[in-house]
Amino acid sequence: MKPTNQPHFVHPIEGEFAKILDFYNIRWVYEPRTFALEWDEHGNVTLAFTPDFYLPDQDLYIELTTLRPSLATQKNYKQRRMAELYPDVNLILLKRKDLRNLMLKFGLDQQAQQIIGTAAQKGSQNER
Amino acid sequence: MNDELPGDHPELTSGIRQVLYTQEQIRGRVAELGQAISRDYAGRNPLMIGVLKGVVFFMADLLRELTIPAEVDFIAVSSYSREAREHGMVRLMKDLDTPINDRHILFIEDVIDTGLTLNYLLQNLRARRPASLEVCVLFDKSSSRLLSIPIKYKGFDLPPYFVVGYGLDFREKYRNLPFVGLLSPDVFQNTKKANQG
Repeated sequence: MKPTNQPHFVHPIEGEFAKILDFYNIRWVYEPRTFALEWDEHGNVTLAFTPDFYLPDQDLYIELTTLRPSLATQKNYKQRRMAELYPDVNLILLKRKDLRNLMLKFGLDQQAQQIIGTAAQKGSQNER
Repeated sequence: MNDELPGDHPELTSGIRQVLYTQEQIRGRVAELGQAISRDYAGRNPLMIGVLKGVVFFMADLLRELTIPAEVDFIAVSSYSREAREHGMVRLMKDLDTPINDRHILFIEDVIDTGLTLNYLLQNLRARRPASLEVCVLFDKSSSRLLSIPIKYKGFDLPPYFVVGYGLDFREKYRNLPFVGLLSPDVFQNTKKANQG
């Protein structure tokens, strides 16, 4: 299903990923659900995780990250918490190298290079 | 893993940094797959379907290992190129020549990584109501998988690197290597420079 109105993607690589899913006729929803991961003593959520994509036909969440491994500590922690708290939720974390290989596979050399570029290496304010 | 590159054809092996599976290893595993398929499909006259182009090497070798009658057909789909994206969606570039309703279908793939193409093709084939539909893949790069695909027969696992040979290509090159090897990062770099130029 190709959404009638494209969402506002936080990172350009998410838009490219959505185009690939559309090309292969894979239904997707952008950031449909936020998972609470930690709470304070009053029960307020202090840490949450919103995966980038949900594929309803596969019941699968996909999170993309262009951060270097050394800068992706928070995201890795969230992935571990997700596995602990929501073991029945299927989640794939596509890391920087995975995304670069994906872009190369589909002939998107420019996008692959952007993933390895300076902004991605230092981390971006768009990374969540 | 075999580190030694065959030295006979440097022009062919340029850009390969390591042999992952030798010709002999591939030959042996294909023979084992042929035996298993021959056993499971005896008396069912399976139709072996492959998606062009990379599968032709595996298909040809696998068919010759079968000890039962089998038929073969090929299908081709558009890849995710700039031209194909302008058409919006993946589409069949070559359809099957054979009707498959009520046939026992074994879908043959050289490699599965994301599963996106295979998912599309299996949906397409299921809609034609075959008697059965199973998947046989020689190389499984499961670390790249996005969509879950049931695989009945599998040859080898691949590491999460760019590999070429025995049908697997990089920009249409290296398919005719008799072994499977890791592609050197230099090849990526040179491609980037060429594309920027």
